[in-house]
Amino acid sequence: MSLRTKPEPVDAIVVGLGANGGTAAKVLSEAGLKTIGFDRGPWLRAHEHYSGDEMKFVNRDYMWPDPKMFPRTVRYDENSEAERFPFSPTPQMVGGGTNHWAGWVPRPRESDFMMRSLHGDIDGASLADWPFRYEHLEPYLTKVEWAFGVSGIAGADKYEPYRSKGYPSPPLRPTRYGKRFYDACNKLGINAFPIPHAMVTNRHNGRDPFNQTSFWNQYGDPSGARSNILTTFIPEALETGNFEVRAESFVREVKLGKNGKATGVIYIDAEGNEVEQDAKVVVLALGAIESARLMMMSKSSQFPDGLANGSGLLGKNATFHEYLFAVGLFDKDIDEPLNGWTGNYISGGSLEFYETDESRGHIGGSIISASQTCHPINWVFPGRPSWGDALKDADRNYFNYAMKIGLILHDLPVESNRVDLDPNVKDAFGLPVARITHRPHSNDIAMGKWQVDKNVEILEAAGARKTVPVYLDKMTGNTCHQHGTARMGTDPSKSVLNEWGQAHEVENLFVVDGSGFPTATGVNPTLTMMANAWRCSEYIADVYAKGREERLVLAK
Amino acid sequence: MTLKADWPVIGAPIDPDSQERLFFTEHEWETVEAATARIMPTDQDPGAREARVVVFLDRYLSGIDYVYAAADGSGFLKMSGRYADAWRARMADMQRTYREGLRNLDDQSVLEKGSLFKELSESDQDHMLEKISGAPKPGKVTLGTKEAVTTFLQGSFDEGLDFFPALCLHTRQGFYCDPVYGGNKDQMGWKFIGFPGPESLKDTMDGTYNTHEYFHEGEYDWEELIPHLKVSTWTESVSDD
Repeated sequence: MSLRTKPEPVDAIVVGLGANGGTAAKVLSEAGLKTIGFDRGPWLRAHEHYSGDEMKFVNRDYMWPDPKMFPRTVRYDENSEAERFPFSPTPQMVGGGTNHWAGWVPRPRESDFMMRSLHGDIDGASLADWPFRYEHLEPYLTKVEWAFGVSGIAGADKYEPYRSKGYPSPPLRPTRYGKRFYDACNKLGINAFPIPHAMVTNRHNGRDPFNQTSFWNQYGDPSGARSNILTTFIPEALETGNFEVRAESFVREVKLGKNGKATGVIYIDAEGNEVEQDAKVVVLALGAIESARLMMMSKSSQFPDGLANGSGLLGKNATFHEYLFAVGLFDKDIDEPLNGWTGNYISGGSLEFYETDESRGHIGGSIISASQTCHPINWVFPGRPSWGDALKDADRNYFNYAMKIGLILHDLPVESNRVDLDPNVKDAFGLPVARITHRPHSNDIAMGKWQVDKNVEILEAAGARKTVPVYLDKMTGNTCHQHGTARMGTDPSKSVLNEWGQAHEVENLFVVDGSGFPTATGVNPTLTMMANAWRCSEYIADVYAKGREERLVLAK
Repeated sequence: MTLKADWPVIGAPIDPDSQERLFFTEHEWETVEAATARIMPTDQDPGAREARVVVFLDRYLSGIDYVYAAADGSGFLKMSGRYADAWRARMADMQRTYREGLRNLDDQSVLEKGSLFKELSESDQDHMLEKISGAPKPGKVTLGTKEAVTTFLQGSFDEGLDFFPALCLHTRQGFYCDPVYGGNKDQMGWKFIGFPGPESLKDTMDGTYNTHEYFHEGEYDWEELIPHLKVSTWTESVSDD
């Protein structure tokens, strides 16, 4: 490894070019800031590299992070040694998880921003209000929906808070299992509607959404249908002439200057050279696990426990959601086929059960959705016989006769649920990997149980003749949603970042991914994250970079 | 050092009828054919044997030249750098898992039944698979029941799997993969299961392959599906400025 000559300093560095880093790159470069974006992963070309290959995309980790290069470890109690496990393996590449996501982009609810005010002290949890409210985010939710591309029907979600504008794109025709879901929900009085989807079905922004292959969740999309940072915000940022991508470049440290400000980053380029890049502002968007890890690896005499970690909260209160579901099987000899492999993963869904109803025995609630049971190798039937005649019959009889209703678990923050540096395991660069310590809160278990059982009820109303409920046992990170490891808040002793994602203790360091979420919300977080990244980046460009400072004061 | 975006395409789609062995010995090949035929057996429909699961597995285990098909299925990607290093290390482990697993299957078969695995009757082979899996042969799925499970992972990568779970997973893969990987010969796995897959991977890249006819067919009306729309008061707000 050699030290290459130092490149010219720039206005801003963005580390991690997924949903949030891509949003920051677009907003900063469009505002005229000279910006460099780093990603440890590749910069692929969607139309050239993506196709409907189940082996490659689902089974052989073409996009999922390689567990040998970038391992993670997990333990389920304080005293065990953590074991290697691909916990929350969001793709690490230009575009990040938006390369292969299903693309659920529901809006958060007003209650999501004030869990502490609504519920007070919950035993064993560390609820906190957000330092801003739904109304502050609403304009940015709309900006993202229109700039990024979302299909949906405004007014269809009975429980949605105020929205200032409709959707740029109409939803797809329902799938067969989607139709079943609507019918069952209508029978039960549940408000079902097409979950807002990060895809377009029209030529919005000149896109060409020709992909109707049903190769969707976990697959790359070679067309313009999927809203993918790689094919939207990255080219838009490049078009400004103010943005440069450095892919397969691994940022291993944020440097701190004598004046207490970040001076830039040290990274290892694709050739293995160690390079220093200086900038006036450093924006982190690696996801709540890797952003926290990078800050922990950036130790200094001022911050021996990790950059901007005077509060000691860095890495703590980590929330991950969990995808739970129930599968229903139908009878081939009697029922119509459901073709569970068709569609763009999500079809109808509902937020009927989202708000707290304490008679259920838990607080909070979940978004639910009927979704694809996927393709032949990996079609979703937990407990499927693993070999022999029973396996063959199961595939033959149920592949086209299964339906799944899932949920996103709104898990509560717990201070001891955290990310830190593993003392033993190193990545391909010889650096300590992120270790996850996690035990679900009893509210998480109760919520999962209640909602999975409700999903079973809907499946039965849809005519399922056998059901397989999947309950919460332990967190696996199977949603790839990550939040909470660097809480936003107004009190520097109780949070790492302020309401603009700005580190309380390092004024030119911003974190614009889910790290700042004080609570998880119960919806898929990407839309909320991107809207927040947009909001924070606008603050960087319009206020901070101009030498000013503003505070957001909430009405009591 | 070639960036991942620029990995070149080498070779060609795997010929399912090839008799050439790249990894397995003659004996291992026959043992794998026999064992995978018990995992996905042949009945009125073809099974692992006819779909050429053994070819799929032989090529996969031969090194790192058959890991990722080119997007259009014209050949395979030639990996480089840290990615290639990681795959080489992983493949060395998996090769060892297979060599040792197959040897153990034979040793146990000789010990218990007096013959090599491939020479046993189907029921004795099943018995030996029960033995190495440590569980009885799975029973058939019955309707009218509710069977709960816990935790579920997206994707199913094979890193670190023991021999028998790896063999089961790889049998599914070889039976249902895109035919470029050497298995699922003539798409027989897809036809068996009722999956109208693409003629080629290339057809999934340019709009040729279209599945909309398998969605809900016929008319639909969002107001029928979503009764709330009839009473929804949402309207686009008119800006004052």
